[in-house]
Amino acid sequence: MRYYFITFRSVTYAQQGERLLKGSGFRCALQRTPRWMEEQGCGYALKIRAAGIEPAAAMLAERQIPIRKVYLQKPDGQLEEVPHDLS
Amino acid sequence: MIYLDYGATSFHKPPAVYRAAEKAMHCCANPGRGGYGAAMEAAKTVFDCRAAAAELFSCESDQVVLTASCTHGLNIAIRSVVKPGDTVVISGFEHNAVTRPLYALGADIRVAGRKLFDWDDTLTEFERALKGADAAVFTHVSNVFGYILPVGEMAALCRQRGVPFILDAAQSAGTLPVDFSALGAEFIAMPGHKGLLGLPGTGLLLCSQPGKPLLFGGTGTQSIRKEMPEQLPERLEAGTMNVPGIAGLTQGLKCLKRIGTDTIFRQEQQILGHCVRGLVGQGFRVFAGAHQAATVSFLPGMDCEEAAENLAKRGIAVRAGLHCAPLAHESAGTLETGTLRVSPGYDTTLGQIDVFLRASAKLPPFPS
Repeated sequence: MRYYFITFRSVTYAQQGERLLKGSGFRCALQRTPRWMEEQGCGYALKIRAAGIEPAAAMLAERQIPIRKVYLQKPDGQLEEVPHDLS
Repeated sequence: MIYLDYGATSFHKPPAVYRAAEKAMHCCANPGRGGYGAAMEAAKTVFDCRAAAAELFSCESDQVVLTASCTHGLNIAIRSVVKPGDTVVISGFEHNAVTRPLYALGADIRVAGRKLFDWDDTLTEFERALKGADAAVFTHVSNVFGYILPVGEMAALCRQRGVPFILDAAQSAGTLPVDFSALGAEFIAMPGHKGLLGLPGTGLLLCSQPGKPLLFGGTGTQSIRKEMPEQLPERLEAGTMNVPGIAGLTQGLKCLKRIGTDTIFRQEQQILGHCVRGLVGQGFRVFAGAHQAATVSFLPGMDCEEAAENLAKRGIAVRAGLHCAPLAHESAGTLETGTLRVSPGYDTTLGQIDVFLRASAKLPPFPS
């Protein structure tokens, strides 16, 4: 299992995402976005424990909950941005 | 006290509403302003309210903007849709929360449909007035007379002619169906503290477009930007939110879901019928008809304010005067006198109406 961070444009989108994904069995938690991750300053992200980001991203896209960026936590703890556009 | 002023506020709330507000005061910090437990609890409390409202009114949770009142929501909505000089159609039964923002904007106001309880007149006049109009704003239910306007048909006329419209659901939300997606309104505004059984200082604005902010300031997100965020609902929610009130409102919404708005409507119709029959029998001039929600105005043979004072001394709470809706009184021909308004609510009983009628029997009848 890996940890992913999904950032959103608004806290409400993040909360919509949290409710949707938890309701579908994903393990995730809402948290503040690290400052370096959000160039517009202050935001919320979902930390998700999953084998891959595709199912979660697809579910969010289907419900039209817009994602800003997705980051994968590497074994050394560093985060790297990963593509999430499934279209 | 026998409280019959639910048109002003649902003074008696379900116990869960008070409990939730009290709990929020102890457990919730500022939503969207931190990642620690109490801030996240506040954010969850706010989102729960959006989700409950979205379910009740058939929209998405990000389309639910939390306001301080219905008036607040109407001001946002009107400033988002109407430009100075625009021609705006309104019904003959609008509250000052609609007319004053329009006057302040310098809108060219067309009043359409002034006959009480007459859907044919309302629709004919409304359709005629829509020609060349830039927008329409109308109430679902008259706060003075309880007249339920044919909003489904009015909405359809607006959609057919491409006229954006705003619905004032101040007196209907919680007792009549309000389906945001089916109506196709630009905005629907409603208070949290009336039919939705929440606390004062709360309201909902359902939005189909981002709208123009009325207030500018902190939202807890995108803080570097000089402008307000583009996304709803944060775009229209600058400043610290009334989290205890919002927590209470969520419980009000859940209570409505449990009881069912159709059940409340049927119950209130029974109360209304009993009240109207009693008042007519006592010789008052009673404003009653088809398409009436549980609000009835009447005229005794004395000054309305004095009559209300008389009833208050007997433990009956009703509202006299113009009810902040001079246009509605002008339409009904009661601008000079005002009326006495009886507006029962979800927990009013037939026995309470009997007590009220025993007190109203002491008032002089309307001169024939």
